[in-house]
Amino acid sequence: MVFVWLTAFFLIVALIVLVIYQLMCLADLEFDYINPFDSSSRINKVVMPEFVLQAALTVLFLLSGHWAMFLLSAPIVYYNYTLYERRQHLVDVTEIFNHLGREKKRRIFKIVGLIILLFLSLFWMIWSVLLEEDE
Amino acid sequence: MQPPMGNERPPSATPGRPVSAFVPGAGLAPPPPFGAAAPRAPFVPPGAPPPQVAAFPAAPFAAAAPAAVPGYRGPPPQQGPFGAGPPQQGPFASRPPPQGPFASAPSQQSPFATAPPPQSPFSSAPPPQGPFASAPPPFRPPPSLAQPQSPTGSAMAPPSAYVRPPSIQSQPPPMQGYYSGPPPANTQFQMSRPAFQQPVQTMPPPPMGPSATFGNQAAYPITGPPTGATLQSLVEDFQSLSVSSAPGSLDPGVDVKGLPRPLDGDEEPVKVLEAFPLNCHPRFFRLTTHAIPASQSLVSRWHLPLGVVVHPLAESPDGEVPVVNFGTAGVIRCRRCRTYVNPYATFTDAGRKWRCNLCTLLNDVPGEYFCALDASGRRYDTDQRPELSKGTIEFVAPTEYMVRPPMPPSYFFLIDVSVSAVRSGLLEVVAKTIKSCLDDLPGFPRTQIGFLTFDSTLHFHNFKSSLSQPQMMVVADLDDVFLPLPDDLLVNLVDSRHVVESFLDSLPNMFQDNVNVESALGPALKAAFMVMGQIGGKLLVFQSTLPSLGIGRLRLRGDDVRAYGTDKEHTLRVPEDTFYKQMAAEFTKNQIAVDIFSFSDKYCDIASLGSLAKYTGGQVYYYPSFQAVTHGNKLKHELSRDLTRETAWESVMRIRCGKGVRFTTYHGHFMLRSTDLLALPAVDSDKAFAMQFSLEETLMTTQTVYFQLALLYTSSSGERRIRVHTAAAPVVTDLSEMYRQADTGAIVSLLSRIAVENSLSDKLDSVRQQLQLKLVRSLKEYRNLYAVQHRIGGRLIYPESLRFLPLYILSICKCLALRGGYADVSLDERCAAGFSMMILPVKRLLNFIYPSLYRVDEVLVTEPDRINGSLKRLPLTLQCLDTGGIYLLDDGFTFIVWLGRMLAPELVNNILGVSLANFPDLSKIQLRECDNEYSRNFMKVVRTLREKDPSCYQLSRVVRQGEQPREGFLLLSNLVEDQIAGTSSYMDWILQIHRQTQS
Repeated sequence: MVFVWLTAFFLIVALIVLVIYQLMCLADLEFDYINPFDSSSRINKVVMPEFVLQAALTVLFLLSGHWAMFLLSAPIVYYNYTLYERRQHLVDVTEIFNHLGREKKRRIFKIVGLIILLFLSLFWMIWSVLLEEDE
Repeated sequence: MQPPMGNERPPSATPGRPVSAFVPGAGLAPPPPFGAAAPRAPFVPPGAPPPQVAAFPAAPFAAAAPAAVPGYRGPPPQQGPFGAGPPQQGPFASRPPPQGPFASAPSQQSPFATAPPPQSPFSSAPPPQGPFASAPPPFRPPPSLAQPQSPTGSAMAPPSAYVRPPSIQSQPPPMQGYYSGPPPANTQFQMSRPAFQQPVQTMPPPPMGPSATFGNQAAYPITGPPTGATLQSLVEDFQSLSVSSAPGSLDPGVDVKGLPRPLDGDEEPVKVLEAFPLNCHPRFFRLTTHAIPASQSLVSRWHLPLGVVVHPLAESPDGEVPVVNFGTAGVIRCRRCRTYVNPYATFTDAGRKWRCNLCTLLNDVPGEYFCALDASGRRYDTDQRPELSKGTIEFVAPTEYMVRPPMPPSYFFLIDVSVSAVRSGLLEVVAKTIKSCLDDLPGFPRTQIGFLTFDSTLHFHNFKSSLSQPQMMVVADLDDVFLPLPDDLLVNLVDSRHVVESFLDSLPNMFQDNVNVESALGPALKAAFMVMGQIGGKLLVFQSTLPSLGIGRLRLRGDDVRAYGTDKEHTLRVPEDTFYKQMAAEFTKNQIAVDIFSFSDKYCDIASLGSLAKYTGGQVYYYPSFQAVTHGNKLKHELSRDLTRETAWESVMRIRCGKGVRFTTYHGHFMLRSTDLLALPAVDSDKAFAMQFSLEETLMTTQTVYFQLALLYTSSSGERRIRVHTAAAPVVTDLSEMYRQADTGAIVSLLSRIAVENSLSDKLDSVRQQLQLKLVRSLKEYRNLYAVQHRIGGRLIYPESLRFLPLYILSICKCLALRGGYADVSLDERCAAGFSMMILPVKRLLNFIYPSLYRVDEVLVTEPDRINGSLKRLPLTLQCLDTGGIYLLDDGFTFIVWLGRMLAPELVNNILGVSLANFPDLSKIQLRECDNEYSRNFMKVVRTLREKDPSCYQLSRVVRQGEQPREGFLLLSNLVEDQIAGTSSYMDWILQIHRQTQS
């Protein structure tokens, strides 16, 4: 059980890193440190890995039977899926400045959710470590 | 005593502007010599010949009066004596009629101009007339509206007490056309009481008008009542239209003919230059309101967009733009905000420092640029230095402004040679036109040129200068495009001229027997990118079918009826494949501008193709069902214009503004490279841009806001230049001042661009509703400014500056890009119109949404050299069309020639050059000059109209009255004032707006 939580913990950390990286690219763009071509290609490079990791995390929760955690992370996967369906998951280099606010907001919400997940999984990890020690 | 003729000034005060009674600043009068009660005395020199003669030359209203709308205002009772007084005694004798506070419509509106204006009242009326005798309506209200209408207000003195019914002879002839009512029986009422006029006795004595802060507020001299001083400010504050119906009458109470119509086209707000003579000309830079709101709360009450329409390379109104070379001093710019030195910069410290007007930073003046100051702190050399005395200037940019050596102008042609292009004769027209333009391509001798033809394969052409004939190389691998040659695909025109010419000669024959129906546009674009990527330049794509092969192939999706009216409707108007957007981004990055020429007779997804032009500063030309016979001339003219007009290459544009204001959104064809930098691979004099700004702080601390638009570009001659336009606008704390300074043209331009952009993400219906909502909110806010004080019931009130706004908004809702639903306009046409509207300069946009309609048959008999003056614009309504006339509708892209049913057949045959009876299909007809006077004059009219605007060539289409369905979609749908298919007519629209502003 500890192993599951450990994996989940690292997955979430990786996700947070990816989303923060995207946010940094957007912020750099806003302050004119990089041009939109570089910014959007950097962001688009990590979007699919992020989606895959998110899905993997959810499947991990599902298979290990942590229903509460699964229900918490499933909405993010569903949201990613709808974005993908509408083909809005990648940023559009031509319209990136018009969508800057929207893209930032999306990622900030995502990161808030991920941080909640991070703390919960940390809590459950410690909890399960303590339980194992008791036994 | 010779009275002062102070009122002589106004006619010249606003040149180029229709004379209107309410122009602020017009009619600045000296203090009235006879006190407040007799401000009009200057008009009537004592002992002068009959007043009608004496009064006129000096009066500013002389020009306005003949065409003036009857602005008859019932006099307050205490004015009675003047009514009967002889003219010499009464200072009011020459009072021009339309100056009542509620003179409803602007004076130059004589919409139904077919009727000659009646005789000038002042010349026909005998001298002993009272003041109000001189108030005949210059055009007759429509007979139906001219019925006696009982005043809804309180008691009005019987008209006859003040008004002498004019003689019947001075009446205009009855209206002709579709509308032919019986001549009205009651001429007296008609003249004395125009239908839309309300007695003004219902008005309470006006309290103090709202204070205006802006400097050029003018005291309007024409106020009769003794309370004149306060009424003065009211007079110029607003205009109104009566929309109340008489009790028990079916008549809606709106005088259709008195509604304001922009028959003079665009009015450039040149009066701004009077207040700010150092500004650039409004043709380059037009604010939606030339008064910046001082606070956030004021912005929220201004419901119209706050922004600017810029046209950086517009033809300069006063000749050449001066060019300045700073030489070793470098371009003088502010250290912090990078503003260029401009007429508003101030010099201090004996000329050693200059203060930036945008960020107020104190900068050093380079030694080479130093000049001493005179006593007033002005540099001695100000007048010699255009950058310190002119709002528009061009700097020669030194090498710091280049990332690479200036590129040569280069043109690359991507020509679809599939079967439809060959059959329609497209190839021949294109080849001939390009060949004829080779001499005029800009940038001789550095110009580069190249061609790539494609159908299901790509054909590269080698133009190596040592060859005598071009070599063609075919690449069939569409998945992995490669260049068969490393160079010689884009060659110097001078070196390879003979090869290029022999290629253009043989191009039509080369593919004569081509039966290939496929089109591999995507791979061809990639190939073109590989060829041009190093240099940049202009890519002209001639596409005649839907791209069907390789990457970027498109589906037939335009005829999906089910999507219309649903939330998915807008997806049809955005690019389907991200390939085109990505390609556009790559093109922009490599300084390539794409112009799309599309010729398909079937759906060809302009929405997707157009995005190439949209993000590269290009342009979309659309020729539905192209046939060389009919469309050849149009294509020829527009292609040569595109190739030979002066173009600015590899350019970037930025607008800077003073503290407290920030530009937020940009509208037009460009790509944003950073938050405020517009990348424009190529830009020319036919493209305008719009931008919106917002306030950064809740309260503005400055008195004036400065704007500076800078376009850094490479000229065709290979010089790096910076074109700078500087403008200043005052900060105001008063909403009414914002309304007074509003510029309808800029507002309409910005609103239409916003609407077109919204139509890419929303339903057409809701886009139109949003437009209406904006109009209603702004008029409501305006009403709230005045209605409380003045209790104006049953009137739509609006500022003089926005008098055309309701009609223009209605026209935007009915324009090609936003009109109706699925069946009304084909998807491609809609998208093409949308792309055009995003780049059109203000003047052409206004003509596009509210086209000019002329009656031509009367002009045909006048002398040819007087044609230009005798063409009068008519209101866009069916009632203007006379069955015995020929009319011409010009929207800047097409001429629609409408032939009335009752026209003499020989006249028609003479003009068309064919017998109408033997030639039933008018859609195939060609207008050309035939050997008779009518035809020559007619073509002269057509030429005159085309010469007005060289940037476009209008295709002539002939339609006969009653010829359905062509008449419907060619002409009737353009008559924006009429009720067409579920849309409101102009009158209904006014009523609707009025109702909504009241609720």
